[in-house]
Amino acid sequence: MRQQPQPDPGPSEGRDQSLEGLLARVARGDHAAFEAVYDELSAPVFGLIKKVLRDPAQSEEVAQEVLLEVWRTASRFDASRGGAVSWVLTMAHRRAVDRVRAETSAAQREQKFAPDPVTGPDDVAEAVEANLDAQRVRRCLGGLTELQREAVQLAYYRGYTYPQVAKLLDVALGTIKTRIRDGLIRMRDCMEVSW
Amino acid sequence: MRLQHDLHTLTGSYALDALPPDELDEYERHLTRCGSCAAEVRGLRETAGRLALAVAEPAPAPMRARVMAAAERTRQLPPLTGESHAQGARSLRSIRSERQARRGHRIHRGPAVWIPRISVAVAAAAVAVASVFGVQQHDAQQRLADAENQLTAARTHNQQLDTVLAGGDLHLVSNKTSLGGSVSAIVSPSQAKLVVVTSGLPALPAGKVYELWLLGKSVAVPSGLLTAAAHGRTIPVVASGLVKGYSLGITVEPAGGTLKPTTNPILAMPLSA
Repeated sequence: MRQQPQPDPGPSEGRDQSLEGLLARVARGDHAAFEAVYDELSAPVFGLIKKVLRDPAQSEEVAQEVLLEVWRTASRFDASRGGAVSWVLTMAHRRAVDRVRAETSAAQREQKFAPDPVTGPDDVAEAVEANLDAQRVRRCLGGLTELQREAVQLAYYRGYTYPQVAKLLDVALGTIKTRIRDGLIRMRDCMEVSW
Repeated sequence: MRLQHDLHTLTGSYALDALPPDELDEYERHLTRCGSCAAEVRGLRETAGRLALAVAEPAPAPMRARVMAAAERTRQLPPLTGESHAQGARSLRSIRSERQARRGHRIHRGPAVWIPRISVAVAAAAVAVASVFGVQQHDAQQRLADAENQLTAARTHNQQLDTVLAGGDLHLVSNKTSLGGSVSAIVSPSQAKLVVVTSGLPALPAGKVYELWLLGKSVAVPSGLLTAAAHGRTIPVVASGLVKGYSLGITVEPAGGTLKPTTNPILAMPLSA
């Protein structure tokens, strides 16, 4: 146990290797900490963006932007408002979705992707085999109703707005809002238990 | 009037970034007033993060070196400290003088070959940018009630501008619009970004706005709206997602902008060097 000069050292004392601790060091301009954050999060950032955008080259470009944004805005990360993983992946998802909505109108997207059937749980498993996170997510997705699962996946992995999801699944707007929320809450509860 | 419980069910859609743009502002206002909604959104975002971890895929190996190199030359945002309006105004002033101090330095960064051709033009554009910020600062001091928000926004904006303008591969293109006035774009191909400044564009009737577009062969990507500043200029806009061969377009659109151009462009300017 390391000797601390103060009786109650704050969480930033010592080498805090949690992502939150690493981000605090990144905010102070620590490049080694940024490399550690990169190594931890570049795969989920890139994978998520590619899931939404599909085009590998464009995904790489957006992932690069997001990771640089982590460097640039690390001082704005506030651990009291959520975890570091969530902060970074929220940024990644928003960027991907912004790109989708800016670049193609809903009509073009529907045309382009219409032949592709709605993603099922297998879609997730395909993306990363033998990945523990994927297995848990897959199991929890399996616990949703079909409508909840499709709605959550279309919104998150395809970057559709809820009115677009409602149209694709041919259900009322009010219903889709409720299904997305209920589905996510059920996912949350399922993963809290098993995580 | 929307029912509160209806807004409450939007936590899930919001956490998945699935609100349409026209509902986003209203919902984010609601979140500032509804503590339980905000708490639920936080939890659901964590859950969404798990969905992302499930599709993790190694990024292409060369990306790491590129990101690290970009970090080396990218200034970080300072932490928010809740400083007073007066301090905020000082910070903006110091940001501006930093920019002015660095301007000469920036011009000499790029490859030697383009310095003679571009330095005068970039210097002129930098002066245009600085003068707009001078005006903004003046406004902010007059409207103390709004000052904090404005300054935060201006500072964020400043950072974006700095990042683009610090690039080593800048070039400048300018042209006149069919309504009169001129538009300049300071382009950074390596960052796929550009800064758009204008001068002398005619004022538009209420309910209309100038909208910027990145124009490809078959796409028009909405890339920001021009906001009037003093002296017939507009606040510099940073547009990203530039693809080689794209042009800059400007159209007149209903206030708030549109997702597709609805009128003929008043400018279509190629952005290659």
